[in-house]
This record gives sequence, structure tokens and C-alpha cells, in this order.
Amino acid sequence: MNTDAEEMNLQERVSLIESMIAEGRQTAESWGWTFVLWGIAYYVAIFWAAWSVRPWSWPVELFGGNHWAWPITMLSAVALTMVIGLRGGRGKPNTGAGRAISSIWSAMGVSMLLLFPALSIAGKIDHHSFIAIVASFLGTANGACGLILKWRAELLTALVWWISSVLVCFVTEEQMMTIFLIAIFLCQIVFGVYAMSCEASTRRKAAIHA
Amino acid sequence: MPELPELNPVVHGKLRLALLSLLVGVEEAEFTWLRLKTGASDGNLGAQLLKLEEAGYVAVEKKFVERKPQSVYRMTETGREALTEYVRALKLLLGGAMGA
Repeated sequence: MNTDAEEMNLQERVSLIESMIAEGRQTAESWGWTFVLWGIAYYVAIFWAAWSVRPWSWPVELFGGNHWAWPITMLSAVALTMVIGLRGGRGKPNTGAGRAISSIWSAMGVSMLLLFPALSIAGKIDHHSFIAIVASFLGTANGACGLILKWRAELLTALVWWISSVLVCFVTEEQMMTIFLIAIFLCQIVFGVYAMSCEASTRRKAAIHA
Repeated sequence: MPELPELNPVVHGKLRLALLSLLVGVEEAEFTWLRLKTGASDGNLGAQLLKLEEAGYVAVEKKFVERKPQSVYRMTETGREALTEYVRALKLLLGGAMGA
């Protein structure tokens, strides 16, 4: 086992092991698109609700005068996530981390879909509470996923949501909307695009090694 | 000078090594996914998976999903140990040159 050829053969084996392990993990973990999709969904709901009543006004009212904007947008986003997720996940392997992460997001989604309509119908929620709870939920889910994946970028996202959830309790309606829109941009759109670029980069590296 | 370790011939095969490395990072994987990732032909892939199955390194579950046959493979504890031992032996042979 001392010849150069044999050593090269062994090095090839090492590269093969590394690239295949990376490939297996990467395939099972592609979540970036969901962040972007939901970021866009929040923006659509906010601006549809506000601008369908008072076009291009600022600051936007969270629920505006259109009570259907939020339920329709959120249910559409749920349906889109399920359709794209199921189609993209077909044939892909299961991993413990993948199941833990999808469980966290699914459970959080169910909580939101039950809690907010109930609070809204009962008339026991105001705009500040709504955003504080949404931001707190998203902070919890991102924090848990960040800890599972040991991913600092997602932990940073959680931190932004947690800070936002606390801040909105102490500010005016206009400031609250600004904080919420910025948090959505940073934590959903920017983080989602970053996650997608990380996934693409891992895919490229795996392809080079394979 | 310490004696150099032998490499497990079942694990050493390139395609079998690729399959074990793929399976170590996931809970279970379909035949079609393994074929996609390795680029192997159906016949070759099936033969190598059978060797791994006979060695007790992978377990297979055959089922029907939407009336189509589906083979799902998962790594056994013996397979995991064999791969770990193989990587350890590889490290020794390469004299700690690898960082993994």
C-alpha cells in the first residue's frame, strides 16, 4: 500500500465517501424556497389587505378592510408548500433531522392556523399582539431548527424575530409595521435566498467530487 | 512499526462504498434515488446492493406504492460499524493525511 497509485486510489475512496455523505445530506435538506415563498405570502397578505381598501397608502393597516386577504393568502401558501414539498420530496430519503424540522414547522403552522382565526372571530386580538405572537412563533421555529442543524445563520434569524416580537409591544402602529416588514424581508426573503445559494453551492461541490 | 490494517473487501468496492456512504447520512433511501446518485445501471446497482444485503450491511424493504414496486434500503448497525472500521483503516493507511 505504499505506491503512489495505491495511495491515489485510497484518496479517491476518501473523496468518494465525503462527496456521497454530503450528497445524501444535501438532498434531504432543501428548505430555502419555503422561506422565500412564505415571505412573499406575508407581503401579499399585508398589502392586499391594506391596499385593496386604500391603495398605495402608508403606513399600511395590518388587516386593512379586506378580511379575506389573510385567510386566502395563508391557505394558498399552505397548499403551495404542500404541493411543491410533496413533489420535490418524492423519492428523496428520510433523515432524522429532516423529520424533526418538518415536524416543528408543521406543528407551528397548525397552531397559527387554529389560534389566529379563533382570536380574530372572538375579537380578542389587536395588531400588536398579532405581530408579537407571529414573530415569537417564527423565532421559536427558526431557533429550534437552527439548533438542530447547528446553523448560525438560522439562529440569527430567530434572534431577529425574537427582538421584533419584543420591540413591537412598545412602539406605535407605524413603527410596528416597519419592524414587521423589515423582519419579513431579512428573515424570510434574504435568509431564504441565502439558504438556497448554500444548497446550490453544496450541490455543485458534490457534483465536482462525484 | 505497527501492522497496517486490511481493508474490508465488501466495503472497498467503489459502488458499494458509495452506497454505504449515501446510506449513512439518511434513514432510508429508495432504489431509484440510489441509482440517481451513483449513476449505476439497474443490474449493477441491484447486484452490489445484494452483496451488501448478504453481508448484513443493508436491509431492504420491498413494498408497493400506488401499485408500483418500491425497494427501500436502510443501513444496518453492522453496516455502520463496517463503514466506521473501513474509514479508520483508511486513515491508518493514509498515515493521517486525511482530515475526515
